Amino acid sequence: MEEFTLKTFIFYGFALTTVASALLVVTVRNIVHAAFSLMVTLFGVAGLYVFLQADFLAATQVIVYVGGILVLILFGVMMTSGRLEMRIHIERGQLLLGGAVALVLLMLLLTVIANTPAWKNRIDDGTELPPTTERIGELILNGPFLLPFEVVSVLLLVALIGAALISRKEVRD
Amino acid sequence: MVVPLISFILLCPLAAFAVFGILGLANKRFPRQDYLSTAAMLIALACSFLLLREVVPSPEAHTVDWLSLGNVTFSMGFYLDSVTVIMLIVVTLVSSLVHIFSMGYMHDDPRYPRFFAYLSLFSFSMLFLVVSDNLLGIYIGWELVGLCSYLLIGFWFEKDSAANACKKAFLTTRVGDVGMFIGMMMLFTKFQTLSLYGEDGIFTLAASQLTTGDMVWLSIAGVLIFCGAIGKSAQMPLHTWLPDAMEGPTPVSALIHAATMVAAGVYLTARMFPILTETSSLVIAYVGGITALVAATIAIVRFDIKRVLAYSTISQLGYMMLAIGAGSYVAGLFHLTTHAFFKALLFLGSGSVIHAFHAMHAHAHDDEKHDHEHADDEEYILGSEIPPDQDMRNMGGLRHKMPITFITMLIATLSISGVPFIFSGFWSKDKILAGVLGRAMEWNSIHHYILFVIALLAAGITAFYMFRLIFMTFFGEPRNQEMHEMAHESPLSMTVPLIVLALLSFPAVNTLWFNKDYVKPPQQSHLHAPTHAQLAPDTKTGGTGVALSLFGVSEAVAAEEDAGQGTQDVHGDDGHHGSAHTAHTIAMVLSIIVAGLGIFLSWLFYHRRALSAESVATTFRPVYNLFWHKYYFDEFYDGVLVALTVWKARLFARFDGSVVDGIVNGVGLVTRDILAAFVGFFDNRVVDGLVNRVAKITWAIGGRIRRIQTGAIQTYLFVVLVGIVLLILIFRVL
Amino acid sequence: MTLQHYLVISAILFTLGIFAVLTRRNAISILMGIELILNSCNLNFAAFSRFMTPEDISGQIIAIFGIVLAAAEAAVFLAIILAIYREFGSIRPDEVDTLKG
Repeated sequence: MEEFTLKTFIFYGFALTTVASALLVVTVRNIVHAAFSLMVTLFGVAGLYVFLQADFLAATQVIVYVGGILVLILFGVMMTSGRLEMRIHIERGQLLLGGAVALVLLMLLLTVIANTPAWKNRIDDGTELPPTTERIGELILNGPFLLPFEVVSVLLLVALIGAALISRKEVRD
Repeated sequence: MVVPLISFILLCPLAAFAVFGILGLANKRFPRQDYLSTAAMLIALACSFLLLREVVPSPEAHTVDWLSLGNVTFSMGFYLDSVTVIMLIVVTLVSSLVHIFSMGYMHDDPRYPRFFAYLSLFSFSMLFLVVSDNLLGIYIGWELVGLCSYLLIGFWFEKDSAANACKKAFLTTRVGDVGMFIGMMMLFTKFQTLSLYGEDGIFTLAASQLTTGDMVWLSIAGVLIFCGAIGKSAQMPLHTWLPDAMEGPTPVSALIHAATMVAAGVYLTARMFPILTETSSLVIAYVGGITALVAATIAIVRFDIKRVLAYSTISQLGYMMLAIGAGSYVAGLFHLTTHAFFKALLFLGSGSVIHAFHAMHAHAHDDEKHDHEHADDEEYILGSEIPPDQDMRNMGGLRHKMPITFITMLIATLSISGVPFIFSGFWSKDKILAGVLGRAMEWNSIHHYILFVIALLAAGITAFYMFRLIFMTFFGEPRNQEMHEMAHESPLSMTVPLIVLALLSFPAVNTLWFNKDYVKPPQQSHLHAPTHAQLAPDTKTGGTGVALSLFGVSEAVAAEEDAGQGTQDVHGDDGHHGSAHTAHTIAMVLSIIVAGLGIFLSWLFYHRRALSAESVATTFRPVYNLFWHKYYFDEFYDGVLVALTVWKARLFARFDGSVVDGIVNGVGLVTRDILAAFVGFFDNRVVDGLVNRVAKITWAIGGRIRRIQTGAIQTYLFVVLVGIVLLILIFRVL
Repeated sequence: MTLQHYLVISAILFTLGIFAVLTRRNAISILMGIELILNSCNLNFAAFSRFMTPEDISGQIIAIFGIVLAAAEAAVFLAIILAIYREFGSIRPDEVDTLKG
């Protein structure tokens, strides 16, 4: 067992926050509450990225998710839900079945995680790595990921145009 | 040289027919078609004369394989001997003259081009028949000339009588042709060939293979083939079509129904001469003899000028048959030739007379129509009413009006009557009589004595009725003044053929037959040998010597050639010269006597009117009626054969109506009401039920299964996840 | 902190996302579930990158791509939801069942 340091404490704090808020996301009846819980979760994940020494990734997570996607989600909530529909209906049977499947899946995943030899005893030795931003920039714009990067750019463009096309009101003359 | 000549002879008329027949179909009147058709015939005629020189030395045959059926190969080819060449000349000559004559006679006919096309086709067919070296070729030509005869008799098919006559001719000859075909098949079965000449020909095989035991069989085959000749040459009892065939245009009567086609039967019989047995020969001789006599007696009482000539033709054809049946091969063919010329002449002459009355005919048409309605009330017998322009009772005194026609017809009449020495008919008829009598004396055969008497009688009657015709037509006072005024001599195109034919009625132009080396009868002796050998001694001990002394007048030329005739019958036996000689003398004297007697009686009856024909007719009423009704042949055929056929047809019709229709209707009823109902039930219940059941089951299954497709995304996702979980579990476990 | 810590967190997030997708009766909630799932994946990439190949940061780049995809996906998803809402007047997935057999 590793020693219980401040760093470890903070890590567990992030981990718990993330899991707990995620739990809230899926259980809270009010959809707006769920959205805010999701924000907490995303922040938690961003914190975990920091622990993984992925600083650029953590920043991106906060900017894109919290700053973009979450706002988008909230817009969606506002545009589609009347006040009465703010509450999420959950049927008991569906809840049970879904819960069962999810539980089995979780057990399965945990089993796999526990039993895969290559993943055992991989301890974060705490070595400081250089900031990743420069290297990522190098890899993306002047390295093997140039093509995927461009493809993803195009994909984003397509998604934007597609989203605009789908969501706009059809003009009938 | 022979092959191109024969090709020309055959192809000229064929080409004329093909070209003008097609043009005729298109109903185009080709300019100068008549001249071109005639020219084609004249070329054929010239070629025939050229051929005469070529073939004299020896017979020539050219054959090609035609079609192979299994092991049997039928060949087509031609065989040329002296007889063929003479026939070719006869056919082409008469045909050419008839062509020329028709240019005048048929000129105003609306179907003038078609007429010439038919004439060309006929000429081709007849020539093909003549030159063929095998029975198949002969049969093809045979049927083709039959077809042409049908077409030409019915040329004026608007007339009911013509339409009926052509059908009658076609069907009657068909009866004989069936017999002929059976005979051909008998020969074919035996010899596996239809070729007549050459190493594998029927004649050679018959000579080498047949035994005495085959004689009965061969006799039957011979008689059956002769049946074809009976039909085509209008012998008893199938002669009834020929008088009715006079419904055709007169040139056709001259060409087909007097000179050439009807002679095809004689030609065929002559061709088959080598395989004729004694029995079949006798049958032929009797049929010919009886026909000669019966037809002659009918001719006495006819008033229609063409009918008289028609019966005369039948009678003369009977003569030829008699000659061949009695073994006088050369005499029969000789008579065929001479008869062809003078009978063609007679017919063309009568055509000239009819043509003279023709304008009158149109004029008198209304009256005739009136009469016709009357005639309809009586029982209608084909050809019983006489067109006014052919009725001899309307004629008389025409010799001044139509001198050329009169003189030429008189020559022909003298010839056919057997007026001695300067007319060809005398020589040929005398040769027949001599041949028959010679055979009778030689074999001491009662049959041939009877036949000789019959022939003699027929000769006398022939002279009588022919002069009756002449006297009624050309002498005396005009009986129908109106018609007489209208009569005129025919144009040059019609008189020239008459003159040419008249010249041919003199023996000088028939010298080929007098040259005994030119026509050699085929050998028949091997077939006759057995019986002959028994008969021969009897003839020597017979009373021929007395006859010789009684009729000792000898005529050198005739004797010599008759000696040749004698040897033909008994091959290589010189012992019969005497009897032949005697026979010739007797026959000649007797024939001159009966001919003179006939002419004299005719003169008494119809010119001097010393005797009244009417009173004789009244006295011998039954006999007259018998002759007048043509021995009731037509009545017999109408009353028995036709009635029987009609009765049979009615019976079959009733059978058809009740039994066949009943069965068909019954089957229909059963099918519709029972079978169809059952099938319908099966279809509705079983088949449809099955289909519907399957559909229902499918529907039901589908109804259940579609529930799976909830359309709810979450359900799908749930199932997917369950599937993934299960898969992982399974692979973990395994 | 071992690799397994991260993996467990990731697994929990993933399972919760699945659970949300399966049970929620609101399209936007489903979208949130999907975002959770995507986050768990990205977290996995980052964790594997850190622990399996410390020198190589390709895993992080893939995670960045994942975030980009998530953004695009969210945009399209919301557009679709808006279109559906206009068409059906509801975004309850069980009510949008025109594909029901």
